[in-house]
Amino acid sequence: MQPATERSDLPDPAARPDPARSHLMRLERHALVLAVWLPLGFLALALFHRGFAGFGAAWLAAGFGAVLAAFVLHVIVNAVLGTWFNGREVAVGAGAFALAVLALALFSLLSPGFAGSFFLPVAGGLIVLAAAVVIAMVTAFGPRGAFERFDIIRDNNPRDGSRLPHRGGRR
Amino acid sequence: MTALLVAALSGLAILAVYIAALSARVSADAGSFSDAGGDLPGWAVMFATAGILLAGIDLPAHLALIGTYGLQASHIGIGLVLAAMGGLLFRGRLWLAARIAGLGSPGEALGLYYGSVALRVVVLSLVVIFALPFAAHLLSGAGGLLETATGGALPRTAAIAVLAFALFLPAVIGGWRASVLVLAVQSALLLALILFTVGFPELIRLPGGFLSVGIAVPEGMAADRIPGVFQYSAGIGKDHLPEGIFTTLGIASASLSLVGLAISPGLLWLAQSARPGREGGFGLVWLGAGLSAGILLLAAPFLAARLSAGPGPYAEILRAAEPLAGLALILLLILAGQMAAGFFATSGTLLVMRELVCRFVLPGLDAKAQRLAARIGLGFAFFALAVLAGFAPLFSALFASLALPLSLQLLPALLGLCFVPWISRGAVLAGLVFGALLVFFTEPPGLILFEALFLDLPWGRWPLTIHSAAWGLAFNLAVVLLASIFSKGGEERAHRERLHRAFAENRRGPAIGRTGATALWSLTLIWAFLAVGPGAILGNWFFTQPVFAGAEILPGLPSLMIWQLLFWLIGVMLVWWLAGRSGLGVTSDAHLRRISLTDPGLAMRGARAPDWIAAGVARVTGRLS
Repeated sequence: MQPATERSDLPDPAARPDPARSHLMRLERHALVLAVWLPLGFLALALFHRGFAGFGAAWLAAGFGAVLAAFVLHVIVNAVLGTWFNGREVAVGAGAFALAVLALALFSLLSPGFAGSFFLPVAGGLIVLAAAVVIAMVTAFGPRGAFERFDIIRDNNPRDGSRLPHRGGRR
Repeated sequence: MTALLVAALSGLAILAVYIAALSARVSADAGSFSDAGGDLPGWAVMFATAGILLAGIDLPAHLALIGTYGLQASHIGIGLVLAAMGGLLFRGRLWLAARIAGLGSPGEALGLYYGSVALRVVVLSLVVIFALPFAAHLLSGAGGLLETATGGALPRTAAIAVLAFALFLPAVIGGWRASVLVLAVQSALLLALILFTVGFPELIRLPGGFLSVGIAVPEGMAADRIPGVFQYSAGIGKDHLPEGIFTTLGIASASLSLVGLAISPGLLWLAQSARPGREGGFGLVWLGAGLSAGILLLAAPFLAARLSAGPGPYAEILRAAEPLAGLALILLLILAGQMAAGFFATSGTLLVMRELVCRFVLPGLDAKAQRLAARIGLGFAFFALAVLAGFAPLFSALFASLALPLSLQLLPALLGLCFVPWISRGAVLAGLVFGALLVFFTEPPGLILFEALFLDLPWGRWPLTIHSAAWGLAFNLAVVLLASIFSKGGEERAHRERLHRAFAENRRGPAIGRTGATALWSLTLIWAFLAVGPGAILGNWFFTQPVFAGAEILPGLPSLMIWQLLFWLIGVMLVWWLAGRSGLGVTSDAHLRRISLTDPGLAMRGARAPDWIAAGVARVTGRLS
């Protein structure tokens, strides 16, 4: 807010110190991700609500379509900004997916009539979403890289030998 | 509905505060609180601009106009293509002026370039009109709607206070950066809400609607055609035009007023605060001229056709079909008003603090004190906004009508700053005076004031069905051209030429060439004549009664609507050409050569407070100490 005469040399944004810059970039990416998920999330919620109210599987499919669209846009954001899903996003995504699978299983077992009307469209939608995640990972990291992201056991006991090139040499 | 609506609005408010808190934590630098350090992300500016173009036209009022006048009123949606062109023309040059000469806001740029304090005062007055009556009018509408939607459980004034507080919090916590990020997220939601609210009833085949029954306009109104090139009318309030007021000249002039929105100080400042890149131009082409104008032309008539009984009853019908669809409609209309009100109040306050308070009233403040001053200013501004919206809605509505047409009167000054060095300070000021007077006396505030004090005027609002923006601009331009003939040389011209030379030296992007420029502007003029000018009258029957066919064709949509969509698409292509091929949509900070516009001998320089302000402040501070 300095007067113009004192600011003929505006600070060059690229010259900022790195930590502050990276925090700023993270904030902006976070806001962009919110801008993607907020509208499409609302849309998906409305479509799911109508689908579960008994108006047909097409509404459920459209709801999964909205979620898929948001996921694809999220991947595009990652690609443009040169980032990947952060820990919190993975946690929220995996948690929501697990919750949905659990809810599907419980309702199918406990709620009479639910399985007949909703099991196939919901299970199909969840499978499509899982497939989309796998495709995104394979596209981003390649088949081996994508598998290594889940290879927790190998990471749990890192011995020096595992760093050798002929044993993988991943680290 | 009440619980759902309150939950949704609370969720949006919490999200805004969350983003603002993150932003405040990240941008701990006090100096960037008010201007984001000129480092706003391009995508946020892109979404925010599109959202403000859509919300700033007062979306509920626009839908009501379509409900009353039919497709002739929805035709002014093409004005957003013109607005995008106007925004493109100036945003790049103003951005460059901020980087190479430190002219970091529109008022500063115009004031220093022309060496005129009066121009700074004019821009600041405009900023205040946008920040208070205009924003208050929009907030008042949102508050009224919230009262209706909650069935009176939340009274209008309380609703306005709550909405104003929800707007104030993110602004005061995170400053300009947070406000723009929040606005960008909300703009994305707004676009989705419009598409859902329009598409859902058609998907479930809700009875009625545009395709089956059309827009229920009053008896005698020309619902799907333009009522003439112009009509000999004394204006609204003096004459009744049974077929409607949106003649082709009415549409052209109302579209021009939308250019006033695109070149309003707040939106220009937003463009100046952006990071270099292509996103700003991209946003104006595809989100402004493309999506926003398309929504107004294609989606708004569908929505307006169903809103004939008002938003409340239609929301109930939607709610019966799907509760979240009813919520989406109310949320859409409230969010539109809230977004525009918040943006203009925040940008206006920060501009006033920057250009008036921190420059003239308290020039010695350090960065932290300036941030504190800005926060106090935001507090006062949002309080005044809530008071105006809550207790003086009529006053707000009257003065809000001046905002867009008065903003358009800055066009010659901006043309001079960005492209035409022979436009002089005296010419711009004289033009502004004439333009502002014409606007004032063809809009309600001037008419009411004059008729109450003196005698009845023979004209009303929009005489000859021409919007006040065009009346003002016609006289403004005529005076500017005449005055510039006699004042285009001299020492001032040399001062102005320095900036234009710097623009030429720092030019980036492809050069369009003389032939390309001639082709571009010729096509633009032909397009404007046919899209929003007198040629648009051809659209009334062009696609239903083609000249040489000798028969009537039923294309399924009114001929005028097809004409609108056709010229919208052509307009988008023109804006794309303007942004991409001519380089106006691209900004780059590589190898900039900086200049200083602070030569001795001109009126405006330095940060010294004028003596009378300094003496006034000293008197107050002396008493306090």
